[in-house]
Amino acid sequence: MSEGYATETTLVNAESNVYDRGLDAAIGLSVLTFALGMVTLVDAVPLSASGAALGESLGLILAVVVGGVGIVGVSSWANVTPVESQRVRGIALGLVVSTLGLTVLAYAVPVTLATLLGLTLVVEAVAVAVAGVASRVETVDTSPNTSAGLLAGVVFGALGLTLGAAIGGSLVGFDSPAWVAVALGAGLVLSALTVLPREDVGSTIPAALVVGTLGLTIATAVVGVGWQWNPQSLSGGFTGGAVIPIFVLVGAILSSWSAAKCRAGFGARGREFGAFLVINLNVFLMVAVMATIVVFVTVKGVGYALHGFTIGALSALVLLAPLLVVVVNAARTPAGTDDWHTGARQLFRLLPLAAVGSVAAVLLSVLVTGDRLAYPFTYSVQVNRAQQSLDTAIAVTPEPTVGSLLLVAPALLLSVYFFRTYGSLRNVGSRVGWAETIRQTLPLAVAGTVALTGLFLLVGPRPLGLPLGGTLGVAVVVLAAVAAVVLAALPLAGVLAGEGTLADRAQDRATLFTLGVFGSLALLTSALFLQATATVTPSVGPVNVVPGVALAGAVAASAATALVAYAKRQSGETLQRRLLGEEIALGLTGVAGFLTLLGLHVAVTKVSFTVLGVSVANAGTLSWPMTMQTYIPLGTEPGGILPAVVGTVWLVTGATLFAVPLGVGAAVFLTEYAEQGRFTALVEIATNALWSTPSIVFGLFGAAFLIPRLGGDESLLAGMLVLGFMLLPLVLITSREAVKSVPDEYRDASAALGVSQWETIKSVVLPAAMPGVITGVILGVGRIAGETAPLILVLGSTLNATESAQVLDGFRFTAQPPFVANDALLSASASLPTQVWAVIAAGVSGSPSMGWASAFVLLLVVLTFYAVGITARTYFRRKLTHE
Amino acid sequence: MIDDVRTNTRETILGGDATEGSLLAVGASAATLAATILVFLFRPAIAVPMVGAFIFVTALGWVTYQAEIARLLTLIATVLTVLTVTFITIFLFASAFPAFVEHGLGLLLVPIQGGEVRWFFWLDAVLPTSTSYWNPAGGAYSLIPAIWGTVMVTLIAGAIAGPLGLFGALFIAEVASDGLREIIKPGVEVLAGIPSIVYGFIGFQVLNGFVQQSFLDDGASFLIAGVVVGVMALPTVVSVGEDALSSVPDAMGDGSIAMGATRWQTMKSISIPAAFSGISAGVILGLGRAIGETMAVAAIMAAGVGLANPLFDVFDASATLTSLIAVNYGSASESTVDVLFVAGVMLFVIVAGMSVVSQYIERQMREKLRGEA
Repeated sequence: MSEGYATETTLVNAESNVYDRGLDAAIGLSVLTFALGMVTLVDAVPLSASGAALGESLGLILAVVVGGVGIVGVSSWANVTPVESQRVRGIALGLVVSTLGLTVLAYAVPVTLATLLGLTLVVEAVAVAVAGVASRVETVDTSPNTSAGLLAGVVFGALGLTLGAAIGGSLVGFDSPAWVAVALGAGLVLSALTVLPREDVGSTIPAALVVGTLGLTIATAVVGVGWQWNPQSLSGGFTGGAVIPIFVLVGAILSSWSAAKCRAGFGARGREFGAFLVINLNVFLMVAVMATIVVFVTVKGVGYALHGFTIGALSALVLLAPLLVVVVNAARTPAGTDDWHTGARQLFRLLPLAAVGSVAAVLLSVLVTGDRLAYPFTYSVQVNRAQQSLDTAIAVTPEPTVGSLLLVAPALLLSVYFFRTYGSLRNVGSRVGWAETIRQTLPLAVAGTVALTGLFLLVGPRPLGLPLGGTLGVAVVVLAAVAAVVLAALPLAGVLAGEGTLADRAQDRATLFTLGVFGSLALLTSALFLQATATVTPSVGPVNVVPGVALAGAVAASAATALVAYAKRQSGETLQRRLLGEEIALGLTGVAGFLTLLGLHVAVTKVSFTVLGVSVANAGTLSWPMTMQTYIPLGTEPGGILPAVVGTVWLVTGATLFAVPLGVGAAVFLTEYAEQGRFTALVEIATNALWSTPSIVFGLFGAAFLIPRLGGDESLLAGMLVLGFMLLPLVLITSREAVKSVPDEYRDASAALGVSQWETIKSVVLPAAMPGVITGVILGVGRIAGETAPLILVLGSTLNATESAQVLDGFRFTAQPPFVANDALLSASASLPTQVWAVIAAGVSGSPSMGWASAFVLLLVVLTFYAVGITARTYFRRKLTHE
Repeated sequence: MIDDVRTNTRETILGGDATEGSLLAVGASAATLAATILVFLFRPAIAVPMVGAFIFVTALGWVTYQAEIARLLTLIATVLTVLTVTFITIFLFASAFPAFVEHGLGLLLVPIQGGEVRWFFWLDAVLPTSTSYWNPAGGAYSLIPAIWGTVMVTLIAGAIAGPLGLFGALFIAEVASDGLREIIKPGVEVLAGIPSIVYGFIGFQVLNGFVQQSFLDDGASFLIAGVVVGVMALPTVVSVGEDALSSVPDAMGDGSIAMGATRWQTMKSISIPAAFSGISAGVILGLGRAIGETMAVAAIMAAGVGLANPLFDVFDASATLTSLIAVNYGSASESTVDVLFVAGVMLFVIVAGMSVVSQYIERQMREKLRGEA
């Protein structure tokens, strides 16, 4: 269809003339009016603006339009995103011309924006009417139908009815029955005018009449800026500030629809163009509203939320590492076709990588020069019910310190990622006798260390008064560390020593790679945990042994990886290059793994580790007061909402722990074991119904049933359970979908191999369904994380919490039943959503700026869950369909 | 007969091919679980050790008869899920029952104001009337104002979310190019995730002032609450509507295009009629969302319980069924709580009913399309 259509468009384009150009401009003008209507509705530009003030606002819009049209024009010219449609070009040009015209008018003539918009509507009405008449007298070549259609007739009838009612009401008053007659008359006339004549008249003249009336009403200030209509019977009324934008929006939609029909020459194609333009404008409106909400909350809350945010340059660099992997992957995905504009596309793909590089360079320069990089700004806090401005800054500090957890998180993530990219190096390279011996003894050594760890865990480091931990423990740890450092050096030594080219050596010593990386990681991990239970930290001079070895291992692994990467470049054989690629992935796993151990050591022993002025410490250099501090009652700085963040984390964790096992288990039973029939259908309907049940109803249940049985007070545990009840149906629904969507061929194939049903479920069905389940859980968690209504019933709401729930430290073992108690779980806590509600409920004593910041943090948390969930789903779906 | 039952039960719990050993393992595990539940109900103090016993027995079974124990565990999960769902429902109805018995139709008092019975769809012919219609101290509880508040908010929300949602669904399903669709569709889904309290906070901070200025109102109003809830329900309507439009078999649309129809003609005469039930299911689901919405409404409108005067005054404000519960529960006396449960049951029944209807419609549509494709 598109082919034939394109040719026809070209034919029309060939005879593009004044009629087309004019209508393109009219459509452009209508689109602009529509945008202006939205702008005035939210009062971004006051309707009473005139002269230079108006000119400036319009100039801003002009800049936006010219910029937008300009970039599209340039990319079209450069053939990056070719725009072939004559209409799109015409409308874009019309948009620029009409914006320019309005701006010039605003400066030249002293009119208000309202009058200007009214006049614009009149112009559009005239343009549409002229086009319709021109088509009727056949000055231009169009193909109209015999009638504009009943649907249009009904729409215009309704419009006429409303307009007639308003006009009649204001002329003769709503008391006399005459206004009903006027309304009915106007509706009938417009409806008849639409349906009876030929399409070109029927879809232009009524539109012109309506748009013209609306425009004249505004332009002649019958409904002006200061206009008010306050009916006695209603508790509210209407002002020009609300009515004019609505008039403008309606008028703009009508005139653009009509102009679009004219432009496409009426008939089937005209209707299509008109309908599509209206749909597009509506979607534009919708997207604008939605985007405004997110942007608005961000703008309002980001200042307060980021007050005092500082991060050490080194920490920032560490955080950049996973991002680097992501952008490298994005840049590596194969470029589309071999078209000549692939170059431009490649450029776009490489841009993120370049950006990461630049940021890294900036951070490095901060580290090297020692100069703080800061962006100062002010934010407002509430003191004694008055807003007060405080100075603050977002800063990157030059401290060469990285927090242990900040190091562990990305390093662990990366090591898992690289391990997953690593396939296998089995049976590659030559076997070495002594390496085999080590390989066989290693598990024993690790198992021995683990056993010792278990022993110390059970009886303590000093069983029977013997200082076993201080002697045997130290000895084993040192021994394991020495062995680990030797093993870690194996790959490097293997690549460096021996004969042949670098690549051949690297391929030949593949066994040393696996042995070195996995062996030393395993040994060092076991040593690390032995250390913790034996409560020893052996050190050589000022340097602790375990982290020292970890660092050495990381250096050795990165050196080996770099050498292999160099060798891979030199190598010409495809197979060899692939094997070396595996070795690189393995080496990177090693580097990330060693760094993880280094961070873990610091986190576990609480002893910081410093080498060459760079240190890994427990007190990191990331400071985000909003989420890392509690409220400070009498300070100059307000502190943050740490209790709420902690509360939400625990709520989500608890709800997930409750709902996911139940939901997934039930989904497996219902889909794999139970017979599909009445019962499963009933469960499905019930869960769906429960999923859409109002959340407040769950809150009611929690407050009336759970709370009396859980200590009688608002509690974290009740909140977890209530959110868990809400999460349960969603987990069940999505897991069932996921399990169902595993093709039956999988199960049949497995059964044909003689595998039992449970084995099939365990090793075929569940792995295949896992992506769907995980996605569903993430999306569900996103929803319950923002759930407020049940929480204010079962958790209460605290405005300025100064203590966060200490759930982990709260566990106590008691002598009498139930033997385990946790006060933190049974007491109320703050949470992000209830924090926002607390600001609302506090009325004048609530700090709006703090409310916005809390809302922003909440939005950030929830939208992150959603974005991750949806990205994961798209990714897995694409993977499935490609396979 | 008894043997039949026994075989059936055995098959449900164990699956087809069970041995005596597995029977023992599963039996032991199930027995400890049952004991745990009983202990929890009657002597909750020693429930924790019983849980430990259950975990131990099950772990033992897992090592020896993994398949059977796994099956048992999934069965337990199913039973617990079903029990939870049933229990919540029963508890709600049971808690609302005293208020039903005590007040009966008194829960639907039509207010008398200014010496006149307020017009409420001629219902005062059936329903009792009273000058004091919400007075917890005097035992007068009329849910009519809250019901009407819910209706108003839902109507306004529907008027916004319905047409806009249809346009949005059409755009994503039929008009947008593939690239654009891949951005907008997930974008809309993400927007469905914006928590309602955030909307409420925007309404509370910004929109109320806007209404005072532009609509000469004293702030809180059905209009603003309805508009905000409509915007909230929009993504739901768009998503479900789009799913319905996309599930119309391509062959139907292609046939129309092959006949020389334009895309708009195809949409208007083929896609929309074929997907109509699905789209209406989406609208029903969206309306369900709007009815159940609490926080945005509670944040925007005050908790008053006056019946809008006149009835269709969009600038008036009153609590809805949901915000009535949210705002009043904390300070409510016992008999008020019972009445709030009635409100909860009403919400539950209405929204669950709407969900069942929309599921039914969707299923019908899918079957019809499958038949035609």
